[in-house]
Amino acid sequence: MERSRRVEPFEQILKQPGVSLSFPRDPNSEYAVGRIDTSPCRLACPAGVNTKAYISLIAAGRFREALEVVRETNPFPGICGRVCVHPCESFCNRAQVDEPVAICRLKRFVADYELQHPQEPAGPLPVTQKEKVAIIGSGPAGLTAANDLIRKGYAVTVFEAMPKAGGMLTAGIPSFRLPRPIIEYEIDIIKKLGVEIKTGKKISGRRAIDKLFETGYDAVFIAIGAHKGKKLEIAGEDKYEGTLDASSFLYQVNLGRAPKLANRVAIIGGGNSALDAARSAVRLGSKAVTIVYRRSRKEMPANEWEIEDAESEGVKIQYLTAPVEILGRNGKVTGMKCTRISLGEPDESGRRRPIPVQASEFTFKAGNIIAAISQEPDLSFLPKKHEFDISKWRTFNVDESTLATSRPGVFAGGDAVTGPNTVIDAIASGHVAAQSIENYLNSQSLQQASDSKAAAKTSSPGSLDQLTLDSSSTTDLRATSLNGSGRRPDEFEIKVDIGQNRKKLRADMPIMSRSARIAGFDEAELGFSETAAVAEAQRCLRCGPCGECFICVSECEKTVSVMASTDGRRDALLRLPPEITTPNLQSWPLDGILNVGRRKPIPVQITPTTCTVEQEICRGCGECVSVCEYSAPMLIPKPNGLHVSIISERICRGCGTCVAVCPSSAIVQQYFSEDWLLGKLQSMDQTKRNVVIFTCNWNGTELVPPDLEAMSQPDANLIFIRTTCCGRIEPSFIFRALEHGADGVLAAGCPTSACHYSFGNRHATEHFSKVRNMLNLLGYSPEKFQWTWPDKNRDDGFIEAIGLHLRNMRDGKSCSEFVDENKTRAVTDA
Amino acid sequence: MNTLADTIKKTNALFCLECGKCTASCPIAQVNNSYSPRRVVGHTLVKSGDDILEDEMLWACLSCKSCEPGCPADVDYTRLTLDLRARASEAGLHGMCTHGGALQALMRIMTTPDLKQNRLDWLNGDLKTADKGKVLYFVGCAPYFDIFFSDLGVKTLDTTRSAIKLLNAVGVEPVLMANERCCGHDLLWSGDQENFLKLAEHNLQAIKETGAKQVVFSCPECCRTIKEDYARNLGNLGFEALHISEFITDNMAASQSLFPTNQRQEKVTFQDPCRLGRHLGAYEAPRKMMQAVPGVELSEMRMSGKKAICCGVSNWLNCTTYSKQIQVERLRQAHATGADTLVTACPKCEVHLRCAMKDPNLGDELKIEIKDVATLAAEALA
Ligand SMILES: Cc1cc2nc3c(=O)[nH]c(=O)nc-3n(C[C@H](O)[C@H](O)[C@H](O)COP(=O)(O)OP(=O)(O)OC[C@H]3O[C@@H](n4cnc5c(N)ncnc54)[C@H](O)[C@@H]3O)c2cc1C
Ligand code: SF4
Ligand code: SF4
Ligand code: SF4
Ligand code: SF4
Repeated sequence: MERSRRVEPFEQILKQPGVSLSFPRDPNSEYAVGRIDTSPCRLACPAGVNTKAYISLIAAGRFREALEVVRETNPFPGICGRVCVHPCESFCNRAQVDEPVAICRLKRFVADYELQHPQEPAGPLPVTQKEKVAIIGSGPAGLTAANDLIRKGYAVTVFEAMPKAGGMLTAGIPSFRLPRPIIEYEIDIIKKLGVEIKTGKKISGRRAIDKLFETGYDAVFIAIGAHKGKKLEIAGEDKYEGTLDASSFLYQVNLGRAPKLANRVAIIGGGNSALDAARSAVRLGSKAVTIVYRRSRKEMPANEWEIEDAESEGVKIQYLTAPVEILGRNGKVTGMKCTRISLGEPDESGRRRPIPVQASEFTFKAGNIIAAISQEPDLSFLPKKHEFDISKWRTFNVDESTLATSRPGVFAGGDAVTGPNTVIDAIASGHVAAQSIENYLNSQSLQQASDSKAAAKTSSPGSLDQLTLDSSSTTDLRATSLNGSGRRPDEFEIKVDIGQNRKKLRADMPIMSRSARIAGFDEAELGFSETAAVAEAQRCLRCGPCGECFICVSECEKTVSVMASTDGRRDALLRLPPEITTPNLQSWPLDGILNVGRRKPIPVQITPTTCTVEQEICRGCGECVSVCEYSAPMLIPKPNGLHVSIISERICRGCGTCVAVCPSSAIVQQYFSEDWLLGKLQSMDQTKRNVVIFTCNWNGTELVPPDLEAMSQPDANLIFIRTTCCGRIEPSFIFRALEHGADGVLAAGCPTSACHYSFGNRHATEHFSKVRNMLNLLGYSPEKFQWTWPDKNRDDGFIEAIGLHLRNMRDGKSCSEFVDENKTRAVTDA
Repeated sequence: MNTLADTIKKTNALFCLECGKCTASCPIAQVNNSYSPRRVVGHTLVKSGDDILEDEMLWACLSCKSCEPGCPADVDYTRLTLDLRARASEAGLHGMCTHGGALQALMRIMTTPDLKQNRLDWLNGDLKTADKGKVLYFVGCAPYFDIFFSDLGVKTLDTTRSAIKLLNAVGVEPVLMANERCCGHDLLWSGDQENFLKLAEHNLQAIKETGAKQVVFSCPECCRTIKEDYARNLGNLGFEALHISEFITDNMAASQSLFPTNQRQEKVTFQDPCRLGRHLGAYEAPRKMMQAVPGVELSEMRMSGKKAICCGVSNWLNCTTYSKQIQVERLRQAHATGADTLVTACPKCEVHLRCAMKDPNLGDELKIEIKDVATLAAEALA
């Protein structure tokens, strides 16, 4: 038999994946949607991609929405889904259970999904700003900035030296890892928005940058990458034909102009370029491809998985070996003289310093030698004398937080600043550059016209502000909470219950056979199937736990605002608007709306549970003011010389504790009206023993789980009446239940320490003690009315309490466990 | 039940001159200008059928009878209210109960036939009571009030203990009933005729079983209800109903040395409860008992006796900002007399005035020692 769904106490909801509305009648509580920390995976992503949100959406089969979430911070899902170095996975908590979630491959999956289920891409965006921006370089850094700027309304032109756009994605990374149509597709989306990409247009010459400003551009972003291969600086380097540098080799390969290679090829270096060059050489037919690397495998900068792939394709790696001279005959390379290396103390990069071993030299035969030691930006486009600050690695020195170069209005980012790095870092710097350029242009026009509108534009979305959430500001809010935190993934503070999860390894990636792979340049990894992707996404533990996918907002039309608190350290709580709630718990499938879910939006009736004071009735006694620890009620003077209470709707959390203490019954709590109470009491069945059970939201349930039914006595009719907080359970509730014929009444709430509102429980205890003493005067035995504070963290605590109450009622004996002895001494002995 | 025409006839409403004297003398109308007893009388006559029952103003009246003495047509306005509320309640219309209706619910629980109450737990050894006898002391709901209003510092059981002490002092060991029920006053005035009658029948039967010839009350509501409403509904009572002050002053002459002479000085003022004063006409007895205590100096408030203002709420209905205004005015009048103690003779006056004193903004301006007339007298006993 299926157990009825219980409305869990909030803490339990937190442990569940996804977004849950804890109590439909208490949405005003900041707990309505619990997002208490950013997940480590997202914190680890340089671009702040909302990983958890898209994983949750994939788990729910909402592939398109997942892709949208990725695109908010990353315009290259298909590219990153293939080649990203995915630092997110290194911090994934799932690794503590078995293996990290395949966060990166899931991104590829949604990108592929769109290719298979094509959609009309968005048309050109309107240009709303008068300023124009020039971007030099169409790699991921340049294109990300272009994509952001066009969305901000700026006209953008990208200048690209090569005949094709994409930077190292196109020129460096070989197509067996990153098929060209993927790059073209994603760049095309950006072009369709209105970004102009001028390929084959190298910016160079003495006045290159000046000219850009002169031809009408107001800001420039230099994103030229690091394309110039570094020299080996050894004897014989330029003497013989057959020595190549990896970037130009790969460039030729990628343009389909691959050189003919010898059978024996040596590649010098240990980075991604070395691996890609080696694997390309294998595909070009070379039979003996060896990578020569001067340190050990541990120090190799290339990714572990790529090294494995290369080895499986037959690439050999010689560690602790370095060339000292290129050898040749008849103008052609024949090999190189190498020396063995031992590792000394770590250098400034943290890697151990290579020291040549004396007299260990040997000859390594090879028909081609490909140097893949490193690249640096090609600064030849700048005149000899220029105003830029260049580092000793020949990269641009920029302001770390704004990417501003030493020339006003010129910014630089990507590999041009860091030296050879990664795609996702380039994307991140593109975002920063776009934001800085916007700020720069605003401050420019601010200076010119002290335009107040521009000031409003630059101010960041406020913390703790009520933001109106239409579709555009959704994005804003997400973006700010994404990148604003500046926290590291190891600062994730929420304890994730690892032990709860059964082991389930990650989904296997279907891959081509070895022979098929090395026969050509087709993509080796084939991608997840839908089932595999959903299963993989379901492995995610949802650390945090709300992923800020904001699906709840779009699902529920009535939801108009979200409360985000960004205190810098954590962008913590989201609030649903106070109005959203339901009149009838039973008929509202909670998981229909807010669990990122399978179903259509469900219409929700609006009833706030917050309290209001009827101004003519309130006598200004201040009882409400003194009980409410949120300071929602306030006494304000009236013309008649008295005071009247008003309750701030914004502050009130709808616990109802004040309602129960108001002598005049002046406070109205929506939903919990007299009619509501009497309506519930009508379900008394006079042929049975009626037991009315008042519970607070956090402890009880209105739905009777079958096992509870089973343990109650057959002649008992249990009537559950749930309030927001037990502080709302006023004496009249109990008297009325008895008046209507209840044989017993039980009130169950959380222990003081666990009271959701922290004070409701205390006041409830006072009410209950009074009622108990009055019932004693009436001659009722104590088991007629009992109250209890079961441990809500124990699933069965509540059920057990009811069982005990029922037994006590039947046996006619009171149970001391229920009774707080101190409170029950008769106050009647004066 | 009476027809509306009966009610109109019985209450003289038809003769209303629309002079507005009632409205002018009504404490609620002073502060709430949407209420006017004159208008309610007018509506009762003008509105067709039972439309008048929908009028929310039906529930605003305190039934304090301030309006009646001045009425040239001798309209029985409180009776009109009583009848109309009963009809409204039958039609499913109710007034706004204070405390979420907890007290009305408690009273209805008391209609349960086989209750075995522990309502006399507060009696102590010094108090002499009997099971059978000529004089019965009707306790009322004081034991319940003291628990329910413990936060307000209400001590109405002091009053009941004092009443017994006074009775003992004049040589009477009163009969107390362990199965006494609420008199039903508040249910009656809330329109719940049915449950009122259940309580009335129970109490009357129980009193008759004791054979008492005199029934003494410290609560004027119980006194008025049993003396007038029980009699009206259930016929001849067969016993005399008296307020404790009436009984003691009647019997005081017999025991000259009731109050020793070496008493402290205490300046007091007196709040005439509407049930004791205008309903039962007992203005003199409480004053006489107070003044028999040596050292007690009574100083009357600006409005006292027939003109006394009521305590602002009755029947646990409609406790509003207007009630508070009346209470604040009354407490200011008490302060103006320079009295140390505000003496009253009704547990409800004590509850309501104490509640008003809790105002966080008016603070000490309203605070005054409050005491029942029985307690004041009993404290002075030898
Ligand atoms: C072989 C190889 C494999 C790699 N594999 C990975 C990987 O698996 N994962 C990963 O994350 N990273 C990888 N990288 C690194 C990654 O590709 C780069 O870090 C990234 O592309 C840098 O982006 P960018 O925009 O800064 O520069 P680039 O992508 O280098 O783009 C710069 C662009 O500027 C153009 N340009 C330069 N000068 C001018 C000028 N004067 N006028 C006009 N245009 C100009 C260039 O032609 C180029 O198109 C790899 C790099 C290589 C070389
Ligand atoms: S378990 Fe999910 S949310 Fe947590 S780090 Fe891994 S992918 Fe991110
Ligand atoms: S408790 Fe009730 S009467 Fe007192 S101030 Fe608050 S709302 Fe007004
Ligand atoms: S005590 Fe009253 S005002 Fe304060 S939060 Fe609870 S319901 Fe709102
Ligand atoms: S009985 Fe009192 S409250 Fe009612 S109308 Fe008359 S004066 Fe006013």
